[in-house]
Amino acid sequence: MGTQNSYTVVLERNTTWQNEFQTEPYETSWAREAIFFIRALGDGGGARVSVQISPDGIHWCNEGSSFEVPVTEDSVTFCRVKHFGGWLRLTGTTEDTPTAPVIVYLSLKE
Amino acid sequence: MLDSSRAILNANPQLSRFDPLERILFFDDFDQGLNGWTSLIGNYEHKLESILPDYRDLRPPMLSNLSMWDTGTAGSMSGTYALKLSTRASSDSLGVGIKRQTFRSRGKVQLECYFCFKPEANELKLSELDVRAFGVLFDIQDGRNAELRWMPHLRYLNAVNGQRIARWQFKPRTRDFHKIGDSGKTVSHFHLGQEGWVDVPTDSQELCYNEIATKMNWHYLKVNLDLETRRFISFRCNDVIYDGDALQCIEIPAMPNLFCMLNIGFWVETDVDKRAFLYVDSVLLSGEIE
Repeated sequence: MGTQNSYTVVLERNTTWQNEFQTEPYETSWAREAIFFIRALGDGGGARVSVQISPDGIHWCNEGSSFEVPVTEDSVTFCRVKHFGGWLRLTGTTEDTPTAPVIVYLSLKE
Repeated sequence: MLDSSRAILNANPQLSRFDPLERILFFDDFDQGLNGWTSLIGNYEHKLESILPDYRDLRPPMLSNLSMWDTGTAGSMSGTYALKLSTRASSDSLGVGIKRQTFRSRGKVQLECYFCFKPEANELKLSELDVRAFGVLFDIQDGRNAELRWMPHLRYLNAVNGQRIARWQFKPRTRDFHKIGDSGKTVSHFHLGQEGWVDVPTDSQELCYNEIATKMNWHYLKVNLDLETRRFISFRCNDVIYDGDALQCIEIPAMPNLFCMLNIGFWVETDVDKRAFLYVDSVLLSGEIE
């Protein structure tokens, strides 16, 4: 039985989001499924993040999925995504309070 | 190399474009995944804030099929995927990929790869001076009776402040060491700063950028090192061969926990607030290693 590729990339590490924000474009053509994980490294404000897809890594549209940024230290939130094409990123907006410092993973599988 | 060995290499289209030394230590074709190329992070203790600032956000590698907004997918030099490094769209950003190995004897080693570099094609402009530089580094430490850790660094400085430079450079010194945390066991030094680069003392070498930002041409790079004498022997980019005698390496007294280390890294730097990309299709490390 052959093995299938998998890869977890850390898109943000110890990052606090405020106002409008996006993660960096990440190429995903080789993968069939993805999970975004966000773990809070401290306490902070909340925000809802949306998954975006792109034909070219430059122009983006909403994929339709969204989830919450965790607000208490060591809590984790996630969002499963399938059928996403060549690029993925997250986008969101905070209210007045910055988010907790977060580490963001994108876990990809063939 | 024996004629019979060369004939065997030539029979394999994946290997025939390389000139390996007698033993292939690894051959990474990124159609089979990342092959151990991963993110670089600075050392830390207790909390991530202890990481030196320059090490906190080195951008990670990915697999790319080189899809362009205007022409679709180019694919890699052979197959579909290449290793891709990307900066943020910020002129102080670096993308870095590193592969961590050890060696089993202090012989000669040779790195070969095919690469291309481009800025993000988000403007309908030539943009040939937007990528500042890309480079390859080694981080090596002796094994038994270790005296030195040494770090051969080589970069192609493409452009600075909109001026074409097109020169290869080496780096003889790193920054000061900093203590990290409170155990007394962890230190850190940033070695990819803009300071201290020295031109390889020959002419500039202009590469094949092509005529718009979405046309990619693959280039050949070969770097030869001697682990015994801790020196560059030579390097080659396409049709130009450079002698290694004039090239100096960062040298540091041997450190705990790094014996026989043989790390290899690629990186890319942007000169403007636009992402810079380095693509690498297949990397081969070979050696005269017992």
